[in-house]
Amino acid sequence: MAVAKASLLIAVLLVWQLAALRGLPEYVLSPVQIAAFFAQALGTRELYENIGASLGRSLPGFVIGSALGAALGLAAGTARWFDRLLSPAVFLTYPVPKIVMLPIFMIWFGIGDLSKVLIIALACFYPVFINAYYGVRQTRPILVWSALGMGASRWQVFRRVVVPSAAPMIFASLRVSLALSFIVMFAAEMINARSGLGHLIRIAENSLRFDLMYVSLVAIAILGYAGDRLVRFAHTRLVAWQQPA
Amino acid sequence: MSRLLPFLFVGVVLAIWEAVARSGAWSPLLFPSLAKIGNELMLFFSKAEMLTEALVSLERALGGFALAAVAGILLGIVMGRSRFVAALLDPLFSGTYAVPKLALFPIFIFVFGIGSLSKVALVFLECLYPIVVMSYAGARGVPEKLLWSAQNMGASRAAILRRVVIPATAPFIFAGFRVAVPVAMIVVVITEMVASADGLGYQVIYAMSSLRTDRMLAVVVVIAALGYLLDKTVVLARDRLIYWEKLDTYYV
Repeated sequence: MAVAKASLLIAVLLVWQLAALRGLPEYVLSPVQIAAFFAQALGTRELYENIGASLGRSLPGFVIGSALGAALGLAAGTARWFDRLLSPAVFLTYPVPKIVMLPIFMIWFGIGDLSKVLIIALACFYPVFINAYYGVRQTRPILVWSALGMGASRWQVFRRVVVPSAAPMIFASLRVSLALSFIVMFAAEMINARSGLGHLIRIAENSLRFDLMYVSLVAIAILGYAGDRLVRFAHTRLVAWQQPA
Repeated sequence: MSRLLPFLFVGVVLAIWEAVARSGAWSPLLFPSLAKIGNELMLFFSKAEMLTEALVSLERALGGFALAAVAGILLGIVMGRSRFVAALLDPLFSGTYAVPKLALFPIFIFVFGIGSLSKVALVFLECLYPIVVMSYAGARGVPEKLLWSAQNMGASRAAILRRVVIPATAPFIFAGFRVAVPVAMIVVVITEMVASADGLGYQVIYAMSSLRTDRMLAVVVVIAALGYLLDKTVVLARDRLIYWEKLDTYYV
């Protein structure tokens, strides 16, 4: 079954490898070559240092942005005055590509890691805020009424009814924001960094080290995939009453 | 009072900005005053070459998006209506969904050149995923009852596709569009910032390198407005085309 599922992927790799035997441009390596270079890179410190630098930016940004998005989204969904105050500004700036703020953040917070962490946090904030907000608003009123009728305090209603019913939507948005955190991290590192996978791919490109380019590409692909699996795993464990789609 | 509340936040932020800019505590390089940014904005719209830059970015974003829309809707509907195609393609799309396609950009530069083509190709690839995933979900979920009724009344396969499947999938397609349009803008701006000599993303980097924070912020405002307008256009088109179903959103 697993083989059948991956059949197209295997077919693509096979055709790619066969094409490579006939000769491809030098910037397109064959799958076997890429695997060999990646295995080789796994034995070097360089790869781990760059992965560490990248994760050191993307994870804090993801955690800060998502936590803030969830907290403010829950608050805006619950409290009317807070909703009126904050939501219009958030929804207005939602379709704006947040990466354009990077140069401004670089001027304000320096070209070090702080500006990158903050821009990642900004990008991660939006999807989580919006899903937490709609998650709260989709809470079934009958549940809230029943809880109130049974003498629950407002805080208990929030804690036991509103948050659990918003949780599936919040987790759905965490998948989006994790993917965004990697994209923004990679972009920020390609634009300006001294370390990280985005930086690695830039120096590889500039020095025509195609092997290094593909190593960096494979590393970011694995990180993205593994991170997504991790969020899905957390989703199934923590929000056991609703399975992810 | 409650009517003014939404504008209060934006107003306060702008007021704080102007106060900080005027206080002189920070260099105008960090916080240029609103008047200066406004002035640069006026300059932006009065220069033909700057408008050309905006047009270049817009063409790249819309070009890649349009290609992704055509390919994505086709793939999504075929996947939704054929088990075989779905079994073939679904693992590929769901397996690589979380992988940042942006990492392919350096390779795309070698394959498609450093001009518009590599950027359009990357926009296409990044936009394809949300559109395929949403159209697939929509086409898979067409109510069987509708299909059976149409068949029973003697509709041909083409008629069922045109009259039942596509209308039933349309709300999902537009949901995919709303994800894909901001993605298109993000990718265009990033790729122009990383490797380009034209477009709005390049103008941002160029203004920053020349330490013209006011001009940079003016370009940022233009990009923001463009992103907002594109999103509004999608919503407007959606409401016109899918008149039978109201979009259940609060602000947007």
